[in-house]
Amino acid sequence: MAGDATFKKSIDTAIKNPKLSEALHLFGDAYLVARQNAFHGLDFEEMRREMADIKDEVRINRKELLTEFITNAEKAGSTVFVAQDVQEANDYVINIARKNKARLIVKSKSMVSEEAHLNRALEAAGIRTAETDLGEWIVQLAGQRPSHMVMPAIHMFKEDVAKLFSKQTGKELSPEIKTLVNVAREQLRKEYFDADIGLTGANFLVAETGGIGLVTNEGNARLCATLPRVHIVFAGVHKLVRTIEDAIKITRLLPRNATGQLLTSYITWIRGTVPTDGEKKEQHIILIDGGREKLYESKACRDALRCIQCGACANVCPVYQTVGGHVFGSIYISAIGIILTAFYEGLDKAKELTRACIGCRSCSAVCPSGIDLEEIILHLRNEVTGKYGMGVIKNVAFKAIMKNRSLFHSMVRAASKLQKPIISKVSGGDSPPIIRHLPLHFMAKDFTEWRDLPAVAEKSFRDIFDTIEQHVENPQYTVGFFVGCGADFVYPEVGVALIRVLNRLQVKVVFPKGQNCCGIPALYAGDSETGIDLAKQSVRAFSDAEVDYVLSICPTCTMGVKRDFIKRLSDDPDWSEKAQTLSEKTMDASLFIEKILNGSEKISGLENLITGENVTYHDSCHLKRGNNVWQEPRNLLQSAGFMVTEMKNSDRCCGFGGTYSFLSHPQISKQITTDKVIAIAETGVKTVAMDCPGCMMMLKGAMGKANGSIRCVHTIELLAAAIVKTDK
Amino acid sequence: MSNQQQVEKFMEMAGKVGAETVKLVDLQSVAGYIASQVSGQTLVPSTFLAEKHGLARLLSSSGVNVFKGDFRGADHVPAAGVTFSNFALADTGTIVLESTAEDIRLATTLPEKHFILVDPATILKDNLAAAAPMNVFHAGNDPVFVAYITGPSRTADIERVLTIGCHGPRELHILLVDGISDDMMEN
Repeated sequence: MAGDATFKKSIDTAIKNPKLSEALHLFGDAYLVARQNAFHGLDFEEMRREMADIKDEVRINRKELLTEFITNAEKAGSTVFVAQDVQEANDYVINIARKNKARLIVKSKSMVSEEAHLNRALEAAGIRTAETDLGEWIVQLAGQRPSHMVMPAIHMFKEDVAKLFSKQTGKELSPEIKTLVNVAREQLRKEYFDADIGLTGANFLVAETGGIGLVTNEGNARLCATLPRVHIVFAGVHKLVRTIEDAIKITRLLPRNATGQLLTSYITWIRGTVPTDGEKKEQHIILIDGGREKLYESKACRDALRCIQCGACANVCPVYQTVGGHVFGSIYISAIGIILTAFYEGLDKAKELTRACIGCRSCSAVCPSGIDLEEIILHLRNEVTGKYGMGVIKNVAFKAIMKNRSLFHSMVRAASKLQKPIISKVSGGDSPPIIRHLPLHFMAKDFTEWRDLPAVAEKSFRDIFDTIEQHVENPQYTVGFFVGCGADFVYPEVGVALIRVLNRLQVKVVFPKGQNCCGIPALYAGDSETGIDLAKQSVRAFSDAEVDYVLSICPTCTMGVKRDFIKRLSDDPDWSEKAQTLSEKTMDASLFIEKILNGSEKISGLENLITGENVTYHDSCHLKRGNNVWQEPRNLLQSAGFMVTEMKNSDRCCGFGGTYSFLSHPQISKQITTDKVIAIAETGVKTVAMDCPGCMMMLKGAMGKANGSIRCVHTIELLAAAIVKTDK
Repeated sequence: MSNQQQVEKFMEMAGKVGAETVKLVDLQSVAGYIASQVSGQTLVPSTFLAEKHGLARLLSSSGVNVFKGDFRGADHVPAAGVTFSNFALADTGTIVLESTAEDIRLATTLPEKHFILVDPATILKDNLAAAAPMNVFHAGNDPVFVAYITGPSRTADIERVLTIGCHGPRELHILLVDGISDDMMEN
């Protein structure tokens, strides 16, 4: 695939230039602190639920609200035009410009004008445009496009800007930021006075008043809307809100979530033809559909139009931080960019982008409108796979092998034997063996150059379960164990540890053998058909077993069983009811131990616990943001005598992302993993605990190459070790 | 929160975003303060409160160079603008100024320094409390322009370094004076 090759090449180029990535990391870290301070004393979850409701109500009543907005705006003297597509919108602007014999348009930031390539269209019509937002002006002078929604020139450095501005002014300018900002101030001030038209975007359109709102820091939008005699508002039709109060609620969330500001320097509310130079201003409001109605009508994706364009999904995205917005995005960047690209530019344009998401859910967690971005991206990836396929390897792996449980499991057994020539025993420990080098050199760059691969265990968990003796005198509960592929075939010892811990807490464990992979790897590759088939196999296995709860030690599997099985089987009433019952019983093992068994109290009451061993804790993406579990494992570790030292950004992705790190984008994974390895090493602690076999594979592998003295273990293993010592 | 606490909160928050806040006893001392800060063209829009308090005259007699004539004929970057405000928001240190009259907009967007007078009685708790007066501004169908101003103009577009004074005023001086007007519809 040519597109695929070009995309991979752009990733390689970005990775070879670490300067940008370093800057984005610094920004991302500072952002988290600023944002936390900005929301101090406020209930973010409640605020975003409210924002989601406001925006959903707009979606449902959008036609009525649009009419109301137009009526009110016209009463105040505005002219409103609804453009079906960006071409119509551009033509309309050109027409206004010609009628006014305009030669220069000053613009404040409008992302939809980027979407429309409005500047290009105007220049072609002989009308000059001057971007006045500093970042937009820089990008315009450089002939580029913005690489971030809120900070368009975040990819450039002061030296680059000095070069551009020197060329523009004909003076040699030093790369001093204050000087450069002053140059922009002086150069652009003249443009506001000379311009015939001022064009702005709109952060919101208030139906009840017919007014628009602009949220800015520099003061350029106010000048654009004040000095020229004509004001054009160029905005997406989805910016509607019903009332001033709803708009105020946007202003409470947007700056806080975008840059950690309580409020931007300016919020400007404009309705109608306000006075200008002794007469009434001519004001045109152009509202652009450009694919938005189609997006509103897509049940799976429509939440994306709740977006208030804060850019936070980029700020927290590990992929964005690694490769930047010019690679991970089109007009719109990062998570929301993937979705908007699919609808505004076409699915083929979004094809590679959907596969570049690592699935860590940090975007969904930070979104101020409660958009489950990751979920929508998965849906689109599924559509991409349906239309363009998912590649030969994944096709064979998922469709031909995984669906067939006995074939899959006997292949894993065979693999365990076949790998013998390449595995190494880790010296001086009882750790399972690993693969340090692959014999195939062409694969080494992506696979073993920077990490060890876990070897397939000699005996899988399913093959040893029957040999594990369980001594439970008074079983309080009987639980079913959903083992998941990672613990089944790579780390069966974690499953064994779980049984030890549960038995000690008077819980009996059963293992329904008909269970299969949770299906998420197939689903993440966009193969929903295999996902449905796998869901049925496991639902059947656990429905037949009589258990009080179903536990997993893999948070991805827990999400799969708890959340996705219901969705996958929703079309079939028989299956959906069973899936629902299974979902209600299913939870992460550490959550069960803490919440249902009151584990930390029980464990801390045990005698002979070792105390004082230092560990650090890595929050797995799907545990924290998929299952809302992060405090429980820490409580349990502390109750068992461990001291938990927090690492920097403990909930940042480890870079695994399942097949992402092997097949889709191993080179991006490598960078993200490197960040995590550094964060762990910086704590000075020699043991890192986590609750996910995927993270274990990634971090054990990377640590093996980077810092062999640091041990990566599952929380349950640490608990088992502590508890075993208390056995009499 | 008592009004006194709200005033303190407002001053604290406005200070955090780089505004100067000063409590002054009367309009005469306002004129003195501004005269000590500015030399150069000063735009003083003729609004209801400016007329009522004879602001331009007070400023002139304190030695401020009050610009006479059409504001569009002033310098592209005048030295200062002096305006009243309608009300303010404590939790973000924000000033709200109904700016439909063009002179108010020119006097608050173009100058190097913006001096704004606030009656402490008009300080509201937060922007949710602003919904009511905002709705009053928007009653009827007349064109209306309302500005929320929080600190001086700023940018972080080059290397994310906060830099004050991009396109708007580089300095924002908030002058708190009791008894100017507690009517939030007046400025």
